[in-house]
This record gives sequence, C-alpha cells and structure tokens, in this order.
Amino acid sequence: MATSTASSISLSLNDRLVAGISALLIGAFLVFGAGLANSAVLHDTAHDTRHSYGFPCH
Amino acid sequence: MIVKTLLAAIVAGLIAGVFMTAAQEMRVVPLILHAEKYEGEAPAADQPATQEPAAVGHDQHSSLIGASPLGAALSALSPVTPAYAHEHEGEHEEGGIMFGLSRFSGTLLANLVTGAGFSLLLAGVSLVIGYPITLANGALWGAFGWLAVHLLPAIGLPPELPGFPAAELGDRQVWWAATALLSAVGLYLLALRRELVAKVVGLALIAAPQIYGAPQPLDISSNVPAVLGAEFAVAALATTLAFWLVLGVISGFINDRFVNAH
Repeated sequence: MATSTASSISLSLNDRLVAGISALLIGAFLVFGAGLANSAVLHDTAHDTRHSYGFPCH
Repeated sequence: MIVKTLLAAIVAGLIAGVFMTAAQEMRVVPLILHAEKYEGEAPAADQPATQEPAAVGHDQHSSLIGASPLGAALSALSPVTPAYAHEHEGEHEEGGIMFGLSRFSGTLLANLVTGAGFSLLLAGVSLVIGYPITLANGALWGAFGWLAVHLLPAIGLPPELPGFPAAELGDRQVWWAATALLSAVGLYLLALRRELVAKVVGLALIAAPQIYGAPQPLDISSNVPAVLGAEFAVAALATTLAFWLVLGVISGFINDRFVNAH
C-alpha cells in the first residue's frame, strides 16, 4: 500500500475527490440502511446479516 | 470516469456480498438459528415473577416491541419467541421481511447492499487519500477494512447472538459507528503517514473509544449457552475477514483490469 502513489490514478485530483466523496456518501447510506437503520422492515430483512457483521442489533 | 470508478466498486461489493452469503450460510446462520431457540426463554421459564429478565428481553427487542413495561411483560409471557415473532411483525408494526422475501433472500439482499456499501466506502477512502486499490495491495486494503469495521469495534461490542444481553441499542450503535470511524482514521495515520507524530495520534485515536468504553448491559445473564456465543463471535469475525479479503482483492483486480488500465 505504501509503495503506491497518487500519480497512478487516472483521475484528476478534482475528479478523484468528487468520486471519493460520492462513494463515501453512497456507501455510508447503504451500510447505514442495511446495518443500523431503526426500521422494523429493514431490521427483519437484514436480521441475519446484521448479526453476522456484528452490527449492534436488537 | 467517475461513474466507472463507482460502478467498479459496486460490482466488487456485489461479488463479495454473494461470497459472504455463502460463508454465512455455512458458518454463521446455523449458530443464529440455534441461539434463537433460547432467545426469550428466560423470562417465561426460569424466573416468571421477577422484573429483570423481562427487562432484558425488552432491551433486546426495543426496536420491535413496545417500550412499556406492559409490553415487556406480555412479550415475556408470550409463547412465541421474539425471534419467531420477527417474521410475523407485520401484524403489529410495519415489520416483516420486505417484498415478501424468504429469510434467505432477505439475507442475500442485505449482504449485497452491505457489500456494495462497504466496497464504496473502501473505494471512497482510497480515492480521497490517493492510494489506489490494486490487485497487489487489495488484500491489505481488505485487512485494514476488517480491522477498522469489525475487529476493533468487536473489542468493545463482540458480535452478539440473538438473545444476548446488551445495552441500549442507540448507545451501542453510536459507539460502534464512532469506533469504526476513529479506527479507520487511526489506521490511516498509523500505516500510511511517515511522521512519528501522526503514528502516535493514530494509536491514540484507535485506543480512545476502547478507553472510553463501549456501553455494556447491567445484567449479563442469558439463556444462550456461552459456548454458542464464543463459536459465533469467532465465526462472525472469521467470515467478515474473508469477506473483506475477497472484497479488497476483487476491488484491486477490477481496478487494475478495467478502471486504471491504460
């Protein structure tokens, strides 16, 4: 990991930040929805996943 | 190009999610099903008159069962275990598995969403800090993801089976999310920054939530056998490690092959 440099990324710095922050926001939204959201439907659907991933459940 | 980068992350996450579902069905779900046989038994069987077991049962399902002591007492007396009740929640609340999916399909769907989510988070971190995920370093990326999201939070809040005693859900979720975030920043400072100060600050960030301490239940009595809990904690951490390694390597492969190919 430490040997890689930013120069090998084919995106410009600005694009890289836009893509990175979009990815972080969408990813956080998905993980929150599947793992943490306090909705009975989401909880019941994701029940075994939440336990398996060690998300605080119940 | 941005879309391509995000799509690559999503595809890697979906593949890892499918893998995770298979791993879970083999090692984790049987333990969850086993534990559910004990879940909710304590109040009805052993100590019918006391307040505390009912309170424990109520804590564990605070998101599903009404918050009143009456609700807790009713749930304690109910012959239907809370685990079983999950699947019939639709009669009382807006519960039940969405789209009328089977339990397995629901788990698969949740794993796909979680896989894509973690994959996007990993890709997002990689893009923001400017260290690409490649086939060569993908396993390391995955291992660090696992450390930040699973192992370090598990020090305070081990993966829990249904029926385990636990503190208030909201408190645990806040501690869990904060610990994962602080651990991720700490690991970055520790592993990728050369300055000694950064490494010390990184260690401090990793240690801080552990020193602060995770919310713990007041009463740790549980009907679920301890051996089952130990097996489950190891199985959950092992399958999530496999998930993150697969995710990191596939992300790296897709990046090398399709995104950063020249």
